[in-house]
Amino acid sequence: MKNSLRTALVSATAAVVFVTTVWVIQAEQPAAAQEGGAAAAPAQGRGRGRQAGPALPTPRLADGTVNLGRVPGEKGTWGVPYITNMAMRVVGPDGQLLPEIAQQQAAARAGGAGRAGAGGGGRGRGGSKSEPWMPWMPWSAAVYDYNSINESKYDPEGYCLPPGGPRMMATPYQMEILQLPEHKRVIMIFEGATHVWREIYMDGRKFPSDDELNPTYLGYSIGHYEGDALVVENKGFNENSWFDYFGHPHTDKMSVVERWTRPNKQTLHYEATVTDPGAYTKPFTMAWDIPFNATSELPEYICQENNQYLNRLEDDFGQPIFGPRKQPGAKPGTSRGTK
Amino acid sequence: MKAALVPAVVALGAAALPVAVHAQFGHPMKGQWSGEWGPKAKPNRLLLNLDWNGKDVTGVINPGPNAAVVKSVVFDYANPASWGVKMTAEGKDAAGKPVVITVDGKLENIGAYLKHFHGTWIQGSEKGEFAVTRN
Repeated sequence: MKNSLRTALVSATAAVVFVTTVWVIQAEQPAAAQEGGAAAAPAQGRGRGRQAGPALPTPRLADGTVNLGRVPGEKGTWGVPYITNMAMRVVGPDGQLLPEIAQQQAAARAGGAGRAGAGGGGRGRGGSKSEPWMPWMPWSAAVYDYNSINESKYDPEGYCLPPGGPRMMATPYQMEILQLPEHKRVIMIFEGATHVWREIYMDGRKFPSDDELNPTYLGYSIGHYEGDALVVENKGFNENSWFDYFGHPHTDKMSVVERWTRPNKQTLHYEATVTDPGAYTKPFTMAWDIPFNATSELPEYICQENNQYLNRLEDDFGQPIFGPRKQPGAKPGTSRGTK
Repeated sequence: MKAALVPAVVALGAAALPVAVHAQFGHPMKGQWSGEWGPKAKPNRLLLNLDWNGKDVTGVINPGPNAAVVKSVVFDYANPASWGVKMTAEGKDAAGKPVVITVDGKLENIGAYLKHFHGTWIQGSEKGEFAVTRN
């Protein structure tokens, strides 16, 4: 009981510190940056578009391709929003937020729950039953309920492990996109999410065979342009990550098709269609906007530095996740008859 | 001798580190499990190699010439933090005769690296407790 209480306190404290840090950082960004974490509403076709000032024209590269990064000679990075629950960003075929989600968010706001459901560091969590639009399998619903009950204490991102798949675009801090047409590649650099980068092959290659595909956090990415959209197919994910802080699971059977557009200079619109026959009965699409911070450059943020949280994290039996066990020789669950 | 042991121990420790931080958050039953079943005085070693194909848990128990093939795994998700698991498998005994294995257990610590699976193990006419931990 004492251990459980302490674990809960540590988890709650870590969550509060993290959320507070994110809020402080976001408070230093333009208003548009803070809107990335809110519900998507239509602006120029899809997504939200509230910006500080009028929408500026979409910049383009010399060959006419949409420029998804900064204009040469200028500053600017994408302020990736903190989206804690991607189920609240599921959109329909029209690209609009599902009506039931909009209703749930409206009810939460009316009830004074603030950001509950769409974020908020674990507040207002109702497990799989509160998200009936998600195509759960029984096990993925059960795992999600488990993660809801323990308030995501096993979130791998809390261990400073990289986010997998769409979570890269929902983990806060700055991000930059470098289009390298001469190299037939697109590189995405992330300040947050353990300071990782993505490499998207634009050379028309095919995916390696399943046997050759080494499962990774970010998967294997092949992209092409469809008009003004960068479309990227991804597969080859490992199972070491969650979709989001709320703990939606996925398997290594997951494939993701991502779509980036830049309806104006200040806005990057992101869509991800997830197909995971290992965890969900049918595909679903999520979408949100990512605002441009015209005055910023990529700073350095090292998640692993001084991560004291890990040293205090305990499992369901009150045993340390890392470090020596408290009662050597009495491993709960592995010592028969000790439970 | 001691000088040779120190680098070996350091190398082994370094090799163990990635294992310690490796996580697997797909289906909780998937993976390699090791432990034992039967009387504590004379336990039987267990190695379970289990996979999730999107519909069923598949795999083998104690890979080798007398490996048992998992035939069915049924979950009871009533308690999110502790799943009931009933598993059946078919293999051969030491004499090469067909034997059915029936397992009735609990899956615990689902979100942690060290997941536990323990309960009752019936193999042919023998019955005992079992406990395995995911490697």
